Amino acid sequence: MRPPRGRGSGGGFRGRGDGGKGRGGGGGGRGSDRGSAMGGRGGGCGVFIAKGKEDAIVTKNLVPGEVVYNEKRIYVHNEDATKVEYRVWNPFWSKLATAIIGGVDEIWIKPGARVLYLGAASGTTVSHVSDIVGPTGVVYAVAFSHRSGRDLVNMAKKHTNVIPIIEDARHPSKYRILVGMVDVIFSDVAQPDWARILALNASYFLKAGGHFVISIKANYIDSTQPVEAVFQSEPFEQVMLEPYERDHACVVGAIVSQRNPKLLSEMLGGIGSM
Amino acid sequence: MSSLRNAISRRPHKERSQPHSRRKFGLLEKHKDYVERAQVFHKKEQTLQKLREKAAFRNPDEFYFRMMKAKTVDGVHKLENETNKYNTDELLLMKTQDMGYILQKLQSEKKKIEKLAAVLHSLDSQPSNRHIYYAEDREEAKEIQSRSKKRGKLPTSDDVFDDIRSKTAISYRELEARRNRVSQLEKLYMDMALQKELQKKGRKRKLREDELACPTSKPVYKWRSERKR
Repeated sequence: MRPPRGRGSGGGFRGRGDGGKGRGGGGGGRGSDRGSAMGGRGGGCGVFIAKGKEDAIVTKNLVPGEVVYNEKRIYVHNEDATKVEYRVWNPFWSKLATAIIGGVDEIWIKPGARVLYLGAASGTTVSHVSDIVGPTGVVYAVAFSHRSGRDLVNMAKKHTNVIPIIEDARHPSKYRILVGMVDVIFSDVAQPDWARILALNASYFLKAGGHFVISIKANYIDSTQPVEAVFQSEPFEQVMLEPYERDHACVVGAIVSQRNPKLLSEMLGGIGSM
Repeated sequence: MSSLRNAISRRPHKERSQPHSRRKFGLLEKHKDYVERAQVFHKKEQTLQKLREKAAFRNPDEFYFRMMKAKTVDGVHKLENETNKYNTDELLLMKTQDMGYILQKLQSEKKKIEKLAAVLHSLDSQPSNRHIYYAEDREEAKEIQSRSKKRGKLPTSDDVFDDIRSKTAISYRELEARRNRVSQLEKLYMDMALQKELQKKGRKRKLREDELACPTSKPVYKWRSERKR
């Protein structure tokens, strides 16, 4: 029986906190707003909602004062006159943000989590994931292209909980030294053999009972079957990423049972490209 | 020799400024501002008065040679014929400049929409995406269904203060207005592009009503396919 999942994605972030006291203060420089940012309830919250001139999902900036891709920043003033800085998470540039707005129940990425991010590209979404997991969590970001890898590395210089890996995600053995066991795998690889990539990486790095969140083209959905076959993984839910992306879906699930090396080697020959 | 008044220092009297509650009316007008405004008004008044006098004392027998070309329709001077003021090259150039201007405004609006849409995620409206849950068996499916029904809408919209809610509403209205403007500018640009193509040399014909798949209010043209050199 699946454990009951709390409402709100990612550790109950869509709750109501008390950022409202920040209303009184004046806005800071450009990009700031006299609005409120609502935090999560029940302890660790990763993603916030900012209301004011904006109506956006935001993450608390791990590195205050720095922006990664010229996104807007929102400042909220506390009672003791300190400013908290949040960065707006743009759903046009990030599939994870689209999934959260689309109403996915749980993204399993919470403060203190260890995340393996496949398909990191230039690190725009990775920076937000790194904001969510905070200084106690780790994000292992795997990107293949050298050009985007450069941006990723520059971003990782500021966000110290990101470990950039410029390597092909198809061969996790090549970077197995750099990565420890992770709680969540996020995959946005846009390759036809995404299932094999996910399966391989999960066999190397995902802990028992860990979860995966993937973003795939909708016409690949019926190929979730091979993943289930190899790993006894269970998809929990699937959200179409309209209106920000066309024909894409985000699937969230869990790897339930242990890795079966014999089954894995049998199936790896069969999965191939889909 | 300085007067003894300088020995006693007095507090300088300050000028009164606009009250805080009336600050939307701008600076508080003082006598010097009134004088400037009054002089401008009276100057305009006197100019109009002089023009009225001139019109009243007009000589009905006046003649100027330009009168042989120009006309007066109902007491209003009609402009001379402007049909051949510009030749076709100049017209083409001006039309291209118009199109360029419209395109510039269109692109600037699109960029503004992009910036606005990046921070306005319409979080209060129900997500219109398809959300599929995977369940092991029927009981779990029923449980998931009941849980999602109980969940309903997000609680975030209730506790927001009124002025914040109105700010958000203003932002959404601005986004909507800009989107409308973009669609109108696109239509305008397409019209101008069509007019420009019609001026060019290619052989074309106007499609009749029965030939059109979806009849529109504007005429639809079809060009003969010719190989461009």
